[in-house]
Amino acid sequence: MFGQLFWKECVQTAKSLIYWLIVIILILDFSTQLGNTNIKKMPERGQESYGTRVSNDRAFIMKRTLENLILEYERGSYTTYPIGFYKSVTLNEKEEARIGEILKEAAGVSEKELKEQKSMSDADIDIGPAADLTYEKFEELMDEADDILGGGSSYAADYRLANAQEEMTYEEAVEEYQFLVEKDRLSGGYARLFSDYMVIALGFIPVFLAVTRCMRDRRAKMQELIYCRRAPAWMIIVSRYLSILIMLIIPVFLLSMPLLIECVQFAKGIDITVDILAFVKYILGWLLPTIMVSSAVGMLLTELTDTALAVLIQGIWWFVSIFSAGIMRIQGGLYGWNLMPRHNTEFNYTGFQDGFSQLASNRIFYASLAVLILALTVFVYGQKRKGRFQIRGKIMADRKDKSKA
Amino acid sequence: MERLWQIEKINLKHNILLHVLVSLALLGLSPFLMGVENLGAQDTAKVLEMYVALIGIILIPPVFLPEQSQEIRELVSSRYTGSHIVYLVRLFGNIAVLALVLGGYVFMLSHNLCEFPEIRYYLGTLAEILFLGGMGLFFYGLSDNLIIGYMMPAVYFILAVGSGRKHLGVWYPFSMTAGSYTEKVWLSAGALLLIAAGIMLRCRRSGSGRKY
Repeated sequence: MFGQLFWKECVQTAKSLIYWLIVIILILDFSTQLGNTNIKKMPERGQESYGTRVSNDRAFIMKRTLENLILEYERGSYTTYPIGFYKSVTLNEKEEARIGEILKEAAGVSEKELKEQKSMSDADIDIGPAADLTYEKFEELMDEADDILGGGSSYAADYRLANAQEEMTYEEAVEEYQFLVEKDRLSGGYARLFSDYMVIALGFIPVFLAVTRCMRDRRAKMQELIYCRRAPAWMIIVSRYLSILIMLIIPVFLLSMPLLIECVQFAKGIDITVDILAFVKYILGWLLPTIMVSSAVGMLLTELTDTALAVLIQGIWWFVSIFSAGIMRIQGGLYGWNLMPRHNTEFNYTGFQDGFSQLASNRIFYASLAVLILALTVFVYGQKRKGRFQIRGKIMADRKDKSKA
Repeated sequence: MERLWQIEKINLKHNILLHVLVSLALLGLSPFLMGVENLGAQDTAKVLEMYVALIGIILIPPVFLPEQSQEIRELVSSRYTGSHIVYLVRLFGNIAVLALVLGGYVFMLSHNLCEFPEIRYYLGTLAEILFLGGMGLFFYGLSDNLIIGYMMPAVYFILAVGSGRKHLGVWYPFSMTAGSYTEKVWLSAGALLLIAAGIMLRCRRSGSGRKY
């Protein structure tokens, strides 16, 4: 029975207007963002620029970050970007004093020297890390400063790295390229780039399909008829959910083909074997958990409220996730707990390797969360079948909570 | 006139009250998410264009919501007052609410010492609000599906965030942040067309204009 239900749901989805609109949107998204992607060639000597990279010179990172901190401390106002939007933070006396202490400890200066630095013009500020300051202690102090400022400041883990960007040398650019060709076997890097662009749309769009599919029963006046069928609640909900996932993942797989073909053709010229399954791995590992969450949120809130509330909730989640990614996070390596992990380059294999366990935890967490939300949806659906939870857009509608069964 | 006011009163009380509350909640949430004090012109434009303008998607597409059900639509179209009059009253009512809410927000920004050309930013944001909402209304009218009405402007917003000016040209919604207002004129014209087309499509579907 499950197979039949699943197939029916797939057919219903394939016949719906919204599904084909989503397919068109995904094609548009792919063609505008990745349609003209050329596979990168080996850098040549004498290029004007080889790109930038985060300095791995810890002393440099510490110096630049502390200089920034003293500048803001001097002004008495701190710039933060909690969700990517500018915010100026002014601290109270106690918090300001703590920032002063952090500065003294990190830079190894006395109260008098700190006051001297404070009175200097911006250009003359010269402050560095204390001789005995370890990088771990520096990180701890800067994390505390960021906490005091409410997050998103220049002292947060990823922004401190942004303070220390530097131009790449030819040798470093060649090394990056070799990682792409040898470790990533070309297709790995491009599969990450593909995932980076597609995850933006897939963090939000699945909710529309899920909401439409769940509302359709009521609009077609089939809700009660389905409620009294023999199929258990879990079977109806899980088959619907799986059909949504499968129907959404199919166009994503198809869209990855042009880029994979480009990689294969390019690889023939430089005699390397691409990883044919790279896109499959990244789509399932990187994109699927995001699609799972977005669809599950859509199903739960629609079953619970019979309204389009899920669009608003997922919209807010998308908005906060996309804008809080920050300038450094989109370059990959710092995946955190964002619903839409970013890696906006085919390079930075080292960053991917370093952040892999974080990324894996992130993806496992969201996949598990989606399963939990799905289980809640099954519960709500089961209760509705018994005549409970008849909210229908009204906040207090279910106060009597009497079963019709 | 009395009849029109009655339609609007019912609209405010029963149809869009929740949408207005959600919009106010979103705007009320903004000081916790972003700075709304002492902003320069560019940062103020960013707040207005990338955040505040989203209330257009919440408040304009629901103009057709009460007639989501075919039976109610048929009942409304059988009344002496044509559906198009009902839709227009609701639409202007919702736009008036939007204009007021936006005005309040712009006043708050100005009061919080943000430095920006108030009138220009107000009109520019209103143009974007109407374009986003108009797009929702058009697709809702075209497809008879509220979710599509929400999805299309949301996708337009995502496209603007993702690919920026390159692909959208004069339809780029965040132009004030870059100091340009030309796009806002295009957005206003586009909004008018989309709203008019949306209402026409909906009226054709519900057989408006026929009076029994």
